[in-house]
Amino acid sequence: MKAIFITLLLALSLPLALVAAEDLHSAAQVAHGEAVAHADAPAEQNKLTMITEKFGVELPTLFAQMINFVLVACVLYKFAVKPIAATLDDRQQKIADGLQYAEEMKIQLAAAERERAEKVKEATIEAQRILTESREQSKQMIEQKTQEAAAQAEAIIRKASEATELERQKMLSDVRQEVARLVVLTSSKVLSRDLSDSEKQTFSDSAAKELAQAV
Amino acid sequence: MKRDKKITKLAKKLVELSLDNGVVTEAKVAEVLSGLKQVQHRQHLTVLKTYLAYLRREIALQTAVVSTPSSLSDATLKEIEANFTKIYGRTISAVTQQDTSLIAGVRVRVGDDVYDASVAGRLQRLAENVH
Repeated sequence: MKAIFITLLLALSLPLALVAAEDLHSAAQVAHGEAVAHADAPAEQNKLTMITEKFGVELPTLFAQMINFVLVACVLYKFAVKPIAATLDDRQQKIADGLQYAEEMKIQLAAAERERAEKVKEATIEAQRILTESREQSKQMIEQKTQEAAAQAEAIIRKASEATELERQKMLSDVRQEVARLVVLTSSKVLSRDLSDSEKQTFSDSAAKELAQAV
Repeated sequence: MKRDKKITKLAKKLVELSLDNGVVTEAKVAEVLSGLKQVQHRQHLTVLKTYLAYLRREIALQTAVVSTPSSLSDATLKEIEANFTKIYGRTISAVTQQDTSLIAGVRVRVGDDVYDASVAGRLQRLAENVH
């Protein structure tokens, strides 16, 4: 940027310097040979004079403009070009950093992509392994649960059979006891009614003797 | 009711004093009661009650209650007394008790022991043995 500005300044200054030099030269020639010769190049001098007159170029004005221009250029360089150049440099640095960062990110992205692909591959293998193990475990668990269920069913059936058998035994026992009670009751009544007093007396004597002789 | 140990011991001693050759006799009991009347124990009522309980138990142990629906001859009773005296090693006197629920036969009770030779008892045992 600085180089561009300096080049522009020189490019603008050069024609003015040329014109100024021409004017000086013309003035010197006028001053030196006014009296000597007006006949060698009257046409060319007239042309230059005409041009300068036509464009209104005067030497003091030109110097003043040059000084002004230089001052303005210096001020502009100091307060405008320099900050702008610094800003542009900074931005350019940032862009370069950004590009470098983008490049690094691109590399990192590629590495991450490769890593991701590896991870995905590993995860797929791991998932496959887990799936296989899960299937085996589920198969074993199903077999185990089936066996447990069968065992429980057997136990329940066995308990039910035992309970039924116990209930049946208890029922049979109750029936037997009830029958025995009824038989005893009936026998007692029948014996009480049918045994004669003499038979009862004979039995009592016999029982008494039995007790009297039992040692 | 929890009896005092001293009173229990005294009652047992009095029961021993009421025995005549191992048998509780009315005369001995009268002597004991007379003695108690003279002594006038501080807790004479309790002593008397305890003495009565032990005396009843002693009499029950010496008595064979013969239950029968009909009467038994004296000879049979004597045989029973002799047999149980031999069994228990102490003098046992038999008393009869009529019990028609036995139908026929005899049931003898000495203290807590029961000897059943009755028809009702046999039927009852038969029923108990049926399972």
